[in-house]
Formats: sequence, structure tokens, C-alpha cells
Amino acid sequence: MTIKEKGYSHWDGEFLVKKFPWWPITRYGIKLTFMRKFFKLTLPMSLLPAVFWLTGIYISERLEDFPFLKGETSQFLQIDPGYFKIYFTQGFMLFIMLMIVIFCGASLISDDLKHNSLQLYFSRPLKKKDYFLGKIAVIVFFLFIITLIPGLVFFIMKLVFSGSLKFFISYPWLPLSIIGYSFIVTGFFSFYALLLSSLSKNRRLVAILIFGVYFISDIVYLILRSEFRSHYVSLVSLRANLQQVGAHIFGQKTPYDISWIFSFLVLLGICVFAGFFLKSKVKGVEVIK
Amino acid sequence: MSIEIKDIHFSYGKMKALEGVSLDLSQGAVGLLGPNGAGKSTLIRILLGFLSPDKGGGRVLGYDIKDEQPKIRRYVGYMPEDDCFIPGLDAVSFTSYLGELSGMPRQEAMKRAHEVLYYVGLEESRYRKLETYSSGMKQRLKLAQAIVHDPKLIFLDEPTTGLDPNGRREVLELIMDISSKKNIQVLISSHILPDIELTCSYVVILNKGKLAAQGDISELKEIRDLYEMKIKGEAGGFLRRLKDMKCKVEETEDGIFKVYWPPDQNRQEIFKIAAEEKIQLRHFVKSETSLEDLFAEVVGVD
Repeated sequence: MTIKEKGYSHWDGEFLVKKFPWWPITRYGIKLTFMRKFFKLTLPMSLLPAVFWLTGIYISERLEDFPFLKGETSQFLQIDPGYFKIYFTQGFMLFIMLMIVIFCGASLISDDLKHNSLQLYFSRPLKKKDYFLGKIAVIVFFLFIITLIPGLVFFIMKLVFSGSLKFFISYPWLPLSIIGYSFIVTGFFSFYALLLSSLSKNRRLVAILIFGVYFISDIVYLILRSEFRSHYVSLVSLRANLQQVGAHIFGQKTPYDISWIFSFLVLLGICVFAGFFLKSKVKGVEVIK
Repeated sequence: MSIEIKDIHFSYGKMKALEGVSLDLSQGAVGLLGPNGAGKSTLIRILLGFLSPDKGGGRVLGYDIKDEQPKIRRYVGYMPEDDCFIPGLDAVSFTSYLGELSGMPRQEAMKRAHEVLYYVGLEESRYRKLETYSSGMKQRLKLAQAIVHDPKLIFLDEPTTGLDPNGRREVLELIMDISSKKNIQVLISSHILPDIELTCSYVVILNKGKLAAQGDISELKEIRDLYEMKIKGEAGGFLRRLKDMKCKVEETEDGIFKVYWPPDQNRQEIFKIAAEEKIQLRHFVKSETSLEDLFAEVVGVD
């Protein structure tokens, strides 16, 4: 093969000083996630609970058209902050979030470690902060699709279906709760996934870790609860902490008889630890061995 | 000047990695040589702005190595030694992605990706997934990503590692073309001395963190004459007297002595000493000094 003389010419364009230098990382991360087997099926499936909840909002405004739903079922169709809390904090929804995180987050750093791609990123005018922001934004993008966006859609559709602002006047803080909890749960899962993704070069092992640590923390909680019969042991369960914080943010009674602040601090502590760990694990200087 | 550093010192804890290294490199291809642990990687880390020197300073492409590190990385290309890629992408997406990360607008990066892939000879496989690439193709791809943003200076770390002879020749041709016709300065760090000799006109040799030699390869080779000789008789005294005259003497496996003779000395002295030591010189040829000889002499290894 000979050198292609005509193939190379100097580039006369100008470099952009980008406001969000991490955006290409996010864009390609999203593109690569969509290329994964079964993900195109998993994402629509993960929206099924949202469709179900939205249907509930519609029915709640048209109960007279659904007489067979009267009685106990209609209590479920009482649209208030509790309705939103159940959507965001039910175990099944957290499980769906976990599955999405496994699809989009397990390989984010582990693949870069496996294929030595860190050298390619950090030999560019990219800071460590930009690299992590780009990776975190991939998880945020997918989790917002099933948390923030449906939550806000529920709220808006409730107003549309009821044809009045009564719901908004009764709960003006609810949109903030939706936004706040979406950020907390997404932020937590993002740091959680990146932390575990940086531990191994094997994407499958990371997926098992993301799944395993979450459920083992729950199993440990159940064992400790039967042993000590204290609500404080719920702090070891990731699920319980997310539910505890969620209940408080939506103005509901917390499921465990301890302050939600403790749960919040546990989640925050995990995020802070993950941040420090990632900072020390991913070193720009290591690009040259 | 592309690279201008003065009195660079750097230590990892108590271990001194670089001691008083000064360089002034302006154009063409420069070979960076040195045994393992000589400080080559540390020097490249400093030049790319990943490490800040303990003492000394300098500029790369006019940007300060201590204060303007992101700017340096915007205008410099780097081709790592290890195989590195992003799984799931094809070559065009991969190359344009890295162009974008360098700060190129998206569409321009895509256009340039096609151009540089054509240039490195990957035009036919540019839509193939990178996982299916051979070692030679990955090496070309690494070169493509290093030049996609049209850098003014590129660092090549062992660019021919793992290549078959054909692949090696092709990559070296590309490097020579880049450095001689495209007005891009190239700094090549390699252990394969014939590659450096073929592609570079200037060489920097580091040893134990210090600058052991630097200069035009042809000029450095002329610093000492190299003679090959075969001798008969008791060689001990003869060799000792040569060494006393600051000659470096090496014996090869087939019994030939390589003598690096200082150019300021008269070579007739060799015959005089041989006569005094009652040694017969059976073979005496002035040999071409290779970069390997120069490296061995400067670094003190065979």
C-alpha cells in the first residue's frame, strides 16, 4: 500500500473553545448504549410503568366512565403526592432503574480501562472533570427518561385531564419534588455505577456487581432486621435509603422510623466516596506508561 | 521553536527521573532514545503537560508547559504505544470523535476523519468495527487519530511495535512523509534503533534521567571513528593501552574488536601500540558507525 499523497491536507478551520467539552463523550456514550443487544427492547419496556401510571391519572378524572373500578381500586386512583411517591420509590421501579444503569453504565469506564482508551481521552484538551461529566451524563440521560420526564408529564397531564389548576394550587411544590428526587436518585445511581465500573476491566463483572451490591445490601438489611429489630439497620440497604429519602421529598410518611437525613447522608457518603475513588483511580498522567 | 525546555528536574518521591534536561528542538523528526528507566516517558509526560517539573521550565509550540497544558494538548498529537480503541465504533466514528474531543467542530471532524483514514491507507475498512482490525490496522488507526486535528507536533510512542516487516515499512513511510512533506514535527520514542535511524535526522539520548547526547545523527556518528580489527597475540596489554587513550573497545562474538577512536587522536598510534605490545593486526577496517553503536557507546550497554 502506498502513501495516499492526495489524502492529506492541512486543516484550515478553527478549534472551538467548547462550553461543554464533555458533550461528545455523552453523545457517543448514548449512541453506543443504543447499539447494545436488547437495549432497544429494554428501554420501551422500562416505560411501561409510566404508561400505567399515566393511564391511572386519566382514569382518575373519568371514574364515572369506569364503574367497575369503584371501591378499593379507586383509592389507588387518588392522585396526590403519594401517587407520585409510589411511582418513584416502589421496589419494581428502582429495579428498572438498576437495569437501565447496568445497560448504560457498566461499560462506561471498564471498557476504557480494558481497551486503554483513557490515553486517547487525556491526550486531548480534556480535564478529568469533563471526562466524568461526559460519562455521568450518559446515565443521567437514560434515567431521566424514566424518572424526571414521566414525573413532569404526570403532573402536566393531571392538570390537562382535570381541566383546572386545582391540583397545582393544592401541591405547588410537587414539581420541585419530582425534579429533586429525580436528581437524587439519578445522581446516586450515576456515581454508584461509575464507581463499580472503574473497579474492573470486565463489563460483565461490573454488571454483576451493580446488581449484586444493590441486592446484597437489601439481604443484609433483612438479616440484620430479624436479628436486631431496629429501624436503623435499614441504613445498610440502598433500596431502603432511596425509599426513605423519596418518601420525605414527596411529603409522605417515611417507611422506616428513623430520620430521612440519615438515609440521605448514606447516599451522599457513597457519592462522595465514589468521587474521591474515581479521582484517584483515573489518572491523566497514566496515559503514558 | 517547537520544543524548548531548560534545566528540567523531576522526581517521583526520592527517585530522580530527570535531572537538568535542556532541549531546543525546532523541526523535522527527532528520535528520543534511552534504556528503560532513562526518563523518556517522564519527559513526554512533562511535554504533554501531565506533570509539572520540580525545577526548570519551557515551552511546547510556544505554550508554557506549566501554565498552558490544555493548549499544548490541543495542538499536539499523541500516538500511544498500547493498542487503544473504543469498542463498538467504526474507524470513521472513532477518528471524528477524537477530533471533536480536540475541539474540532463536529462536521469538520467527520470530514477530516475520512481524509486521514484515506491518508493512512484505511479507506476501504473505515466502516468496519474496530474490534475486527488487525494489529497493523490498529497501528495506522492510532496514527490517524493523532493527526486528525492537524497537529503541529506529534509524539509517537513505539510506532512500529507489533508490526510485520511490511506493516513496519508502511508506517515508517507515513512517518517520513508526515515529518518531511507535511510540515509536522515528529518526536519518536522507540527502542528500535534502525527505525529511528531511518526516520529521524536528529536524536536525543537520555540515560539515568540525564541528557546523554543530542544532535544530528550524522554529526554524532562522526564524534568518534569506529575501527574493526582482528588481532593475534596476547590482547590484554594492547586493549588496556587503548582504553588508557580514552578509546572504547568492544569484542564481538566472532572475535572482532570494535574500537571507538577519538577523532583528535592519530590512528597511527594504534599500529604503534600494537608493535610495542607485540600484537599482530590481522584485520583493520574503518567501519560505518550505526546508531546502535552510538547508543551503545553513549549509554554504555551492548
